[in-house]
Order: sequence, then C-alpha cells, then structure tokens
Amino acid sequence: MKHSFIDRYADLDSPLHLLEARSKIIGFTALIAAVLLIPPGSGTAFMLFFFLAAVLMGVSQIPLSYIVGRTLLILPFVLLAGIAAPWRDDAGFVRITTLLMRSSLCLILLVVFTNTTRFTELLRGLKKLGCPRILVLNLGFLYRYLFVLTDEVMRMKLARDSRRVGRLPARRELRLLGSMLGSLLVRSFERAERMYQAMLSRGYALDFPVLAPRRFTARDIVFLGVVASFVYGVLR
Amino acid sequence: MVPIMGVLSAFVFAAQTLNFPVLGGTSGHLVGGALLAVLLGPGAGFLALVTVIVAQALFLQDGGLIALGANLFNIGAVTVWSGYAVFHLAGGKSDRPKRLYLAGFLAGWASLVLSAISCALQLAVSGAIPLKVGLPAMAGYHAIIGLVEGALTAGVLAFLGRVRPDLLRLRAGLQGAGDWIGAVVFVAAPYVLLILAGSSELPDPLQKLLAAAPLTGGREAEAGGLASPDRFLNFIGLAAAFVVLMAAVLAVGRAVRDKRGHS
Repeated sequence: MKHSFIDRYADLDSPLHLLEARSKIIGFTALIAAVLLIPPGSGTAFMLFFFLAAVLMGVSQIPLSYIVGRTLLILPFVLLAGIAAPWRDDAGFVRITTLLMRSSLCLILLVVFTNTTRFTELLRGLKKLGCPRILVLNLGFLYRYLFVLTDEVMRMKLARDSRRVGRLPARRELRLLGSMLGSLLVRSFERAERMYQAMLSRGYALDFPVLAPRRFTARDIVFLGVVASFVYGVLR
Repeated sequence: MVPIMGVLSAFVFAAQTLNFPVLGGTSGHLVGGALLAVLLGPGAGFLALVTVIVAQALFLQDGGLIALGANLFNIGAVTVWSGYAVFHLAGGKSDRPKRLYLAGFLAGWASLVLSAISCALQLAVSGAIPLKVGLPAMAGYHAIIGLVEGALTAGVLAFLGRVRPDLLRLRAGLQGAGDWIGAVVFVAAPYVLLILAGSSELPDPLQKLLAAAPLTGGREAEAGGLASPDRFLNFIGLAAAFVVLMAAVLAVGRAVRDKRGHS
C-alpha cells in the first residue's frame, strides 16, 4: 500500500541534501529557535526569514506543492488556537499575525529539514551529537517497523470498513477498535521476534550502519556560517 | 529489550493513526502511555513513548520542536508513570482477568486526566491561560476522552490475555522501588509546582503582561465585538496579506529552483 510520508524526498541530491546531518540538525534548530525569538510585530525580520525560507525551499528541489501542502495541513490547528484574538483588542491582531508567521516559517523549515536528510543519516548525526544510544536505536527500530505496521493498519482498516456499514453503537465500535489494536499488537510482536532472530543470525550488533555516509566538509562550514550570520544579523 | 521497545514504539505510532469519533465532531486516538507502562514497565515504556513523540515532532510536524520538552513531560512521563502507579494500585497484579482489565481501564483514564491537568498547570504557571479557565476545560475534556483511552487499554489487555497471555507477564518480577519513586516524582511534580507558584505573592512579569492583553476574558463588548467593521476589515486584510506573502515565497522558491535546474 502507498504511504510514504517520512523523508519522502530525502534521496534527491541538492546542495542541502549533500550537507552532513549534524550541521543540518544544528542549523535548522537554530533557525527555528530564532524564528520563535523574533519579537512580535517586527515585520522586517519576518520578511527576511520568509525570504531565507523561500531560498532554502528552492535550493532543496523538493516539489514546492509538497511543502505548501504539508504546511497548510497543520495551519488550521494553529489558526484554531488564535482565531478569536483579532477581535479582542489591538494586541490580539499583532498576536495572531505573529502566530501565523511563526508557525508557517517553522513548518516550512522543518519540512525542508526532514525531507533533505535520510533517516539513517539523521540517526547517525544524532548519535554523533551525543544523543543516548538507546534512543537512537529505538528510533531506528521505529523507522524500520513503521512502514510494515502502517501497511498492517491500512489492511485492517480496509477490512473493517468493508464489513461495517455506517456507524455502530459506541460500545461495539470500541470493542472493535480494541480487538484491532490487540491483534495489531500481537502481529507486530510476532513479526518483531522473527525479524530480530533474522537480524541476529545475520550478525546484527546493536548498530545500524550507514552506506556511504556524508562527510563534514567545507560546504557544512559555509552553511553553518550563513545560518549563524543570518540569525545574528536579523535578531541583533 | 530494545527490539521489543522498538516494535512497541512503532505500534503506538501506528495505533495513533486509528482515529475514533468522539462527541461533537472531534476524534480521539490511543495515546498509549498506560499501555506501554503495563507492558514494558515505566522506564522502558517512557523511552518507547519518547521515541514516538520525537518522531512525530520531526516527521509529521506534529507537536513542535520547542514544545518538545513539555510534550515529553506531559504526554510521556506523566502518562507512563501515572498509568503504572494506578494500574498497580488498582490491582494489576491480580490473577482474575476482570480485575486486570478494570485496572487497565482506570490506568488509561487516569493517565490522560493527569496529563491534561499537568498541561493546564503549566499553561497557568507560564501565564498563558488562567487556571480557572484552563483546568476545567482541559480536565473535563480529557475526562471524556480518557474513557476511550481507558476502554482501549483494557480492550488491548483483554485481547492479549486471550491470545498471548505470556506478553502480559513480560514485566513479572521486574518491578522495583525505582519505578515507584519515578511515579511519585512525575505525578506529584506539577502539584508541587502549583503550590510553589501559588505561595509566591509577587505577580511575575508575564502575568502583568497578560493582564494588559488577556487571551481569554470578556473584553469583546468594550472592543466592539465581532460585528465591528474595522476589525473585520483587518481580518480580511490579514488573510489577503498572508496569501500574497505565501505566493511571494513560492515565487522566490520557484525562481531559485529553476535557476539551478534539475541537473
């Protein structure tokens, strides 16, 4: 079944894709933090950040419709939180404008970041940055099992929807969902046991190797330098 | 242990995509803190849930990076440890299945309500939403959503009891004093925070700021209300400006991309 939503465009090779994971983790986190530090109502700073976001979007070669789509998917929830603000008082108007700009900037940056970094690279970067090994390992397992489990969930949903017409009484609906979750759990357990045996028998030793890892090069230094000077220049 | 934690993380991640219609057009889904605590114990359960929350923040842009700490505390630590404590206090070690499911139900329900209360307390302490508005809203809403969480936790436990009873005993003999210390710390911490905040008489600067520009409170009447034409125009203007801005961002992005070409 079709459901690739994690690092979907991470296999392109734009300049952003070629950066090492560590410098992207640091750079994008710094940019997002800087967006949140822009004082409310300072239009120039927001415009500069939007310009940077646009440049990053363009450089990344990810289809622009994809980035905008993902951003628009989340924005309604943000709007819901602040929709009443403009009618309160004048500060409310600035507040919702700021909220809107900050969240769309953060979303764009995060979408660009996760779609220019392969998951294995991201894990490697996190590990090199000193993230606890057990967390990195667990994220790795999550990533590996997720696609299989999502397949399983979609099959079960399809089976449920094709056998159930309309809505059932809440009690039965809940029981149905409980059984679905239970059998999903049992199936995942048994699959995990099999997979782990298979991994052990192929020499797995608590580590996920990365094929042809990106190296920290002059390009990364340039990227970090640009980010640092941009953030300093705009927020100063 | 790691592979089992991994598969349970993936399970919770996938299970959270199974939505369930709740009252009034909203939908809820399993959070899974209590379930993980019962199956793995609180320590490993917390790590498994941390992974889920981090992955959602990064890849579904759901939850946010800067709020990650708060989310990990409320959705992670509080649900897992409170679920663990309630499960065991309600007789989760019992051999009678009915008792076990009841404990699972209570653990699921309590984990969500306590998590919501903790979130409301944090919002109040940071001055965003006053406690007397936030607490009833959060706790009340999650007391209803919690029924679903409890029922699902119990349902999954019941299913496991029928199909793979050995998985329910994964944790047998692994409970230690450390787990209980964790439970006390994480469940009690928000209340201690509240008492500390309540006992200080000085209004902090944030509260002053919010008193000047409240997010909640009945000031519509003085401010002209919903019907005020200039506010409406402001709002239309904002929407239009936003559309223009996004179009400009897209145009710049496209220009940059086309210039580079698809080499």
